[in-house]
Amino acid sequence: MTVLNPTILRLSAQALLGRRRGLVLMLIPGLVLVLAVVVRALTEEGVGYDIVSEVGYTLALPIVALLAASAVLGPEIDDGSIVYLIAKPVPRHAVAVSKYVVAWLATVALGAFPLFLAGVVLDASEPGRAVAWGFASLVSGTAYTALFLGLAALTRHAVVIGLLYVLLWEGLLGALLTGIRWLAIGPWGLQVGSAISDAVDEPGTGLTYALLAALVVTAGSVWFAGDRLRSFTLRGDE
Amino acid sequence: MADPVPSGGGRGPVSGAIYDLGYRPYDGPRNGLGAIAWALFVEGFRNAFGLGRSGRSKVLPFLLLGINLLPVVIIVGVLVFIHLDELPLGYAAYASRTQVLLSIFVAAQAPVLFSRDLRHGTIALYLARPLPSTAYAVARWASLLAATLVFLLTPILALYLGAVLGELDFGEQTAAALKAALLAVLLATGLTGISGLIASVSVRRGFAVVATIAVLLLGNGVVTAVQGISEEQSRPRIGEVAGLFSPYSLYRGAMGALTDERVLTPPTGGGLQAAYFGVMVALALVSLGALLVRYRRLAGR
Repeated sequence: MTVLNPTILRLSAQALLGRRRGLVLMLIPGLVLVLAVVVRALTEEGVGYDIVSEVGYTLALPIVALLAASAVLGPEIDDGSIVYLIAKPVPRHAVAVSKYVVAWLATVALGAFPLFLAGVVLDASEPGRAVAWGFASLVSGTAYTALFLGLAALTRHAVVIGLLYVLLWEGLLGALLTGIRWLAIGPWGLQVGSAISDAVDEPGTGLTYALLAALVVTAGSVWFAGDRLRSFTLRGDE
Repeated sequence: MADPVPSGGGRGPVSGAIYDLGYRPYDGPRNGLGAIAWALFVEGFRNAFGLGRSGRSKVLPFLLLGINLLPVVIIVGVLVFIHLDELPLGYAAYASRTQVLLSIFVAAQAPVLFSRDLRHGTIALYLARPLPSTAYAVARWASLLAATLVFLLTPILALYLGAVLGELDFGEQTAAALKAALLAVLLATGLTGISGLIASVSVRRGFAVVATIAVLLLGNGVVTAVQGISEEQSRPRIGEVAGLFSPYSLYRGAMGALTDERVLTPPTGGGLQAAYFGVMVALALVSLGALLVRYRRLAGR
C-alpha cells in the first residue's frame, strides 16, 4: 500500500496555493519578515526579538497552520466534492496522509522557516537562538497542522474551534493557568527550542514529554482524520 | 401583472384559459423599503446570535458572550466582597483585555451575515425584490454592528451596574462608562466594516474567518511589537504613529487620550490625538463605503 498519492498531493497543493488563499498564506510570513527587516534596519542587533516570539510564534505560526490544514480539506467537505475523492479506490488514510504532507510542507515553508529567518535577521550574532526558534516552530507547526486537519475532518466549524483553541486556550487561559502547558502545543515546541538555546524560555514540561506529546497529537490527529474520512457522512449546511 | 389571457376574473373556469387559475392575488398593504430593510436588519441581528437558526449555531455566539461576561462577574464580586474604592479593571480597558473574544465573535459571525447569501446564491432573491443592493448591504452591516455592540456594551453595562450598586462615586462611574461606550461604538464600526468586507469578498467561510483574525490580531500584534520597541528605544513618536494602523491599537490610543488608562505609547499632542479619532471614523466610513461598492457590483452582475 502506498501511503502517498501523487494526484491527491497535486490537487491539495493547488487548493492550498491557488488564488487568494495562497496570497494570504504568503502575506502572513511576509509581514513578519518585513517587520523584522525594518526593525533591524532602524535599531541595533538583538532589539525586538519579541517579534519572533510574540507575533511569529504565538500568532503567525498557528494561523498559517490553520489556513494550510483547513485549505487542503475544508473546501472539499464544505461543497461536498470530497465524496468524489473518497469514491476512488484510494485508501482513506492515504488521502489523509497525503493531504497532511502538503499542509505540513506549507506550514514549514511559510510558518516555521520564516521565523528562523526573522531570528537570523534580528540577531545575526547569535544564530543558535534563531535555530532554536526554528526547531520550536517546526515541532509545534507539525502538531498544529495535524490537529487542525483532524478538526477539519471532524466538523464544519473546524476553523473557529481551531482559533478558540489557539487564542483562548493557549493564549488567554494559558497565560493565566500555567498548568495548561501540559496540554498545549505551543509550550511543547518552546521546550524543544529551549533544549537548543538558553535564550528560549523553558516552559518546564521536560523534553521527553514535549516530544512524545507532540508526536502523539500529530500521529493521532492524522490517523483520526483518515478514520473520519473512512466513515464519512455528508451533512447539510446549518 | 398583465393578464395575457381572457380573464375569467377568478370566478369559474373559462375554456382555453390555462394561465388564470383563479387564485386571489394579494391586494393588502405593501410595505415600503423601510419595512423591508428593517425586517432584514432584525433577522440579521437575530441570526448573528444564532436565533432563528439551528441549535448548533447558537453555541458559539452564546459561549463567547458568556466567556466575555465571566470576568465582569468576578470583578464585581471582588469589588463588593473586599470593598475596593475603584474598579480593578476600567470600563474601556475591558474590551482591550478581551479583544481575542471580540475578534473571534466578529470574525465568526460576519460570514453568517455576509457570505451565506453569496455562496448559496440567495442574494439574487433579495435583490429581485424592490430592495436596492445598497439597502441590503446597509441592513446587513447594521445587523453585525448591533450584534458587536451587544457584545461590547453588555460587559460595560454590567460593570456599571455593579459599580453603582456597590456605591462607588456615581458621577465618576457614569462619566467613565459613557466614555467607554463611545469608544466601544467607534471600535465596533471599524470591526464591523472590516470583517463584513472580508466576508463579502471571500465566500469560503473558514477562509474569511482566518483572514479577519489575521487582519485584526496579527495587525495588532505587529503594531504592539513596534510600539514596544519604540518605547524601549525612547522614540515613542514612532509607536504613536504606528498605532494608527490597526483597529485595536487605534482603540488603545483613543482610550489613552480619553481616559487615564495606561497604554503603550499613548498619542501625545492634540493633533495626533485627533488623528486617532479621525482615523477610527474614517476606517468605519471607508469600509462601509467599500461594502456598498462591493454589493452594487454584485447586483450589477
